[in-house]
Amino acid sequence: MKRIAIFGFMLLGLGLLTYWGLAIGSFKATFTDIINTLVNYNPENPVHFAIWHLRLPRLLLALLVGGALAFSGYLMQAMVNNALADPYILGTASGASLGASMSIGGFISTTWAGLYLPPLFALTGAFVVTLLVILLGYRQGKLIPSQLLLGGIAVSSFLTAMVSLFTFLSGSESALRSILFWSMGDFGRADWAMLPYLAITLLIGLSIFFFLQKELHILYLGAERASTIGVSVTRTRWLMLGVVSVLTGFSVALAGSVGFVGLIIPHVTRGLLGLTHKANLLVCALLGGLFMMSCDILSRLIYPPAGLPIGIITSFFGVPFFVYLLLKKNYNFS
Amino acid sequence: MFVYTLSFRWRQCGLLFALIGLSLSLACERKRAPRQEIEFITVTDDLGRKIDIARQPQRIMALAPSATEMLYAVADEQTIIGRTQHCDYPVRVKEKPMVNTYPLDYEKLVLLRPDLVFTVVGITSVEEAAKLQELNIPVYYQQFEKVTDIFRGLEDIGRLLHREKRAKYVTDSLKNELAQLEVKNNTDPLKVLAITWQDPIYVYGQNTLFTDKLRYLGAENAVTATFAQPYPALTREYILKANPDVLLGGTFAEMNKTFFRQYPELKKIKAYQQKRIFAATDNLMARPSPRVIASIRELKQFLQK
Repeated sequence: MKRIAIFGFMLLGLGLLTYWGLAIGSFKATFTDIINTLVNYNPENPVHFAIWHLRLPRLLLALLVGGALAFSGYLMQAMVNNALADPYILGTASGASLGASMSIGGFISTTWAGLYLPPLFALTGAFVVTLLVILLGYRQGKLIPSQLLLGGIAVSSFLTAMVSLFTFLSGSESALRSILFWSMGDFGRADWAMLPYLAITLLIGLSIFFFLQKELHILYLGAERASTIGVSVTRTRWLMLGVVSVLTGFSVALAGSVGFVGLIIPHVTRGLLGLTHKANLLVCALLGGLFMMSCDILSRLIYPPAGLPIGIITSFFGVPFFVYLLLKKNYNFS
Repeated sequence: MFVYTLSFRWRQCGLLFALIGLSLSLACERKRAPRQEIEFITVTDDLGRKIDIARQPQRIMALAPSATEMLYAVADEQTIIGRTQHCDYPVRVKEKPMVNTYPLDYEKLVLLRPDLVFTVVGITSVEEAAKLQELNIPVYYQQFEKVTDIFRGLEDIGRLLHREKRAKYVTDSLKNELAQLEVKNNTDPLKVLAITWQDPIYVYGQNTLFTDKLRYLGAENAVTATFAQPYPALTREYILKANPDVLLGGTFAEMNKTFFRQYPELKKIKAYQQKRIFAATDNLMARPSPRVIASIRELKQFLQK
């Protein structure tokens, strides 16, 4: 019953946020405009054009990035059995920021054959660094979570220093602000062509772990006990790592590194449904998406027209809620 | 061995005290010298700060490229003793010693001993100016929001440097040129959008000199709202709604390959449809200097195409 109520609330929230997100912008859009755009699209109508080509992809990107990061955070916390883990502990965000800031700061080319390169450099940075951290956490055919965590922290610190260096050396104020948007996230670049990468990966990831969630939740007991029960710990961990790396890499390359979502939403999910509920994965991804959509709408309302970097909003509204959750007596990670 | 160590330490201490004494005496000398020999007057800059400056400044420089251009227009070039790393106009400015402004190289400034430094609001922080003041280097701020502010700024420099005649000559010439360029009573003003950065899209906002330049040409800034930042970030939707007639930020071919490839939705704007997309000279656009007339002339050429 509780599960149905939660899903009901989330679907209602999704409907309201979608309407709100599609209604606000430079062009005034009524409810009729939105419905007409969806059922009777006229490309010559500027309001229809703005809703279909600008607002809807932006909302969907926020939904997907929020979902991907929250789901990745859930997997990482289970994998390393640590409540403080988030998708960025693999250094993915720092790698992406380094790639993007090198390009934006003018140290490598921004365009090639007319192609805008920072997202590509961000994706490359994300994957290269994630691979490096995985190598650091890999020993004798096994992933050692503590080593992975420490490796991630060390590499991230080094890369953050590099990003600071490129930021310091970048020539113009605009470049500085651009790097800031990359470091804190922005959905302003969203378009339809970006969405399939993240949507397909998220769908595949959710499907895999829908069938493996028993193994996933047994990992909370610790690797040794999980092995004793018959879970293939190494295989499950590799799968988790693969899904998290791809999802986080795409998220950061498309929208910059939005902080905090991957840390708090898994805790909120467990707070709502318990540690090992069957619906946890789906609820976690959906909640992450809804949270990100709300933050994007708020950022555009607070600082129109372009909005604030999204990471500022996620921290600003996420932290108080997270503290409240920690202070609640009946919530425990394990 | 002990005797050797002791005598060596004594020698070290002696050397240290001698160095401290020397630097103290030099510091006192540096602090006292200007006050004893130079007559000072109190002036108020564009920020309303009251500063003491030499009645007859002999060693001047600027901490902004636009301010350096202003000095070259009015001052005796022999009195200009330095430049910033960004100063490139007039070309001969590169012969002057360079002072890095990011981060500000205080030591180089102390070494150059300017008796008056000009800067522009927003370029040098008030904290940096206060620190320079402690080093006996007065900083005079100028602020430019309109084209006429540049003429006033040139006259202020002329007054401070006792070059009033030169300043008047320069401003009169610029005003004449402006009068010839001016377009009056335009009933159908063109909307112009000038881009400074493509991702996110940063533009020249309403509260910039660019808006005033366009006013002289009977055109208007496509950004009509006033944002907190002079160079705000815009959404593609805002630009679609503004629908500018002219876009500045690069040639049509360049912008078609980069900007419009990244944001194909913006191909709907009039500027793209009519191919009225141009590359304005960055330094002319950005610097509030005597070259403002050259900038307005360049803009006029674009608007007439």
